[in-house]
Amino acid sequence: MITRPSPRSVRWAMLIILLTGWQVLPATRIIPELFLPSLSKTISVLILDWRIYGSALLVTLGEVVLAMVIACGGGIAAGAIVGGFSLIRTIFLPIFSSLYAVPIVILYPVLTAWLGVGPPSKIVFAGVYAFFPVMLSTAAGIRTIDPQFLLVARSMGANLLQQVLLVIVPAALPTIFNGLRLGGALAIIGVVVAEMLTAAAGIGYLVTLNRTILDSPRVFAALLMILLLSIAYDICTRLLEARLISWVPQRQSPLAGRGSLSANTTTSAA
Amino acid sequence: MSVSSSADLALQTKGLSHIYQGVNGEVQALSDINIDVKAGKFIVIVGPSGCGKTSLLMMMAGLRRQTTGELLCLGQPMHEPDPQRVGVVFQEASLYPWLTAADNVAFPLSIRGDDKQRARQRALSMLALVGLEGFENRYPHELSGGMKQRVSIARGLAQDPPVLLMDEPFAALDEQTRMTMGHELLRIWSTTSKTVVFITHSLTEAVYLADEVHVMSARPGRLIDFVAIDLPRPRTYEIMATERFGMLRERIWQQIRKSH
Repeated sequence: MITRPSPRSVRWAMLIILLTGWQVLPATRIIPELFLPSLSKTISVLILDWRIYGSALLVTLGEVVLAMVIACGGGIAAGAIVGGFSLIRTIFLPIFSSLYAVPIVILYPVLTAWLGVGPPSKIVFAGVYAFFPVMLSTAAGIRTIDPQFLLVARSMGANLLQQVLLVIVPAALPTIFNGLRLGGALAIIGVVVAEMLTAAAGIGYLVTLNRTILDSPRVFAALLMILLLSIAYDICTRLLEARLISWVPQRQSPLAGRGSLSANTTTSAA
Repeated sequence: MSVSSSADLALQTKGLSHIYQGVNGEVQALSDINIDVKAGKFIVIVGPSGCGKTSLLMMMAGLRRQTTGELLCLGQPMHEPDPQRVGVVFQEASLYPWLTAADNVAFPLSIRGDDKQRARQRALSMLALVGLEGFENRYPHELSGGMKQRVSIARGLAQDPPVLLMDEPFAALDEQTRMTMGHELLRIWSTTSKTVVFITHSLTEAVYLADEVHVMSARPGRLIDFVAIDLPRPRTYEIMATERFGMLRERIWQQIRKSH
């Protein structure tokens, strides 16, 4: 019988094919270098100009972190208020839900006028951009808590503070975490997009700068860095997720490589 | 028989009623409920769905206020939940999915502010009592329905309350598990000397478990019959096949049917 290859090995094979293609296709001139410089050339540029790319990465990273702080802090606080108080929810939630669909990038020219072309405009823009998913999922996480959970806690004599800390927070955490994960990704996107539009520093700025002078290897070097940044971010959220909400039964995630049988090993003692 | 002094009574209600605001105005859920529950007894309340059984239990647990009447638990009114007097086991096991079995059982102890080590010890011995030794580090999603309800019972017993209220705890279980759990509950009850008030709509379960069965009518819920179950203990499954068991069950059924 033929054994099916594991999804994990298929994924690795695809990655290797992709990277090989990136190296081979431009080197054999099937694709012109201007469109796609080879992987080795891209990496060599990255190593050659490591000072430029390194400092650009630091600028971008600093902006992303601050944007995440704004989005997560503000989003969780606002979400808790909207999710916890029905009066505020009925007034504001429709507004927030509608605003969610507005392309917030239209705000960016205004923000640069107010805050200049330096990091503050990027931080505020990406912070606002990432705020909504965090807020909406926090509100949803709190609103959808099983009321039975709170009834049980009350029957045990839990006071309001204990109900919040020991029941509401852990019960809402998985939903909130999904929002944080999405919000964090949007913060990265927001910062890079903003840097590409108007900036004097950062990785997004390097993309735009080198594109205008048709220096493809340097454009792709910047793209590669953004890609690595996103992957690093994803790994961080996974580690955090494993620590914070390890109790959530294994979901079927297309990206999850970890298989666990623990959910299926229920033994009957009754 | 003389009127028992209130010192022997674990629970006592006098003229208890409950009226709540429904969509179409006031709804009388409970009317003039008078029950005396002697300490150490196993009381079962049966009645059709929606008769206010759960309302009554919520009041006994201090989770809902009566509209009129009086409710005394160990001689004192219940204005708010008091886990030192009353433990509650709910219909859904309602375990916290982010806590292990042991931590779920220890939860009421940590609410009380008990020392962690002691709470853990207590939780482990309660899990052993309900037959779940070795499962202390499992999460609820790794347990079967019957096992979850066992954890829930262990949690209800953790604070060692003299009174245990159980709201259709086995309703969500399949028939066989339900029978096993009923039998297990009797075993646990006989070793802990608690007063149990147990709500169900299963007449077989009621007769099998109870010292006394109180029958409620459809809404507004009133007590329409009281049946002392004089079957010997410890009870085994075979008792269900006896004529006496059938007669008691039939009597309760007739009362419920009449009330519709």
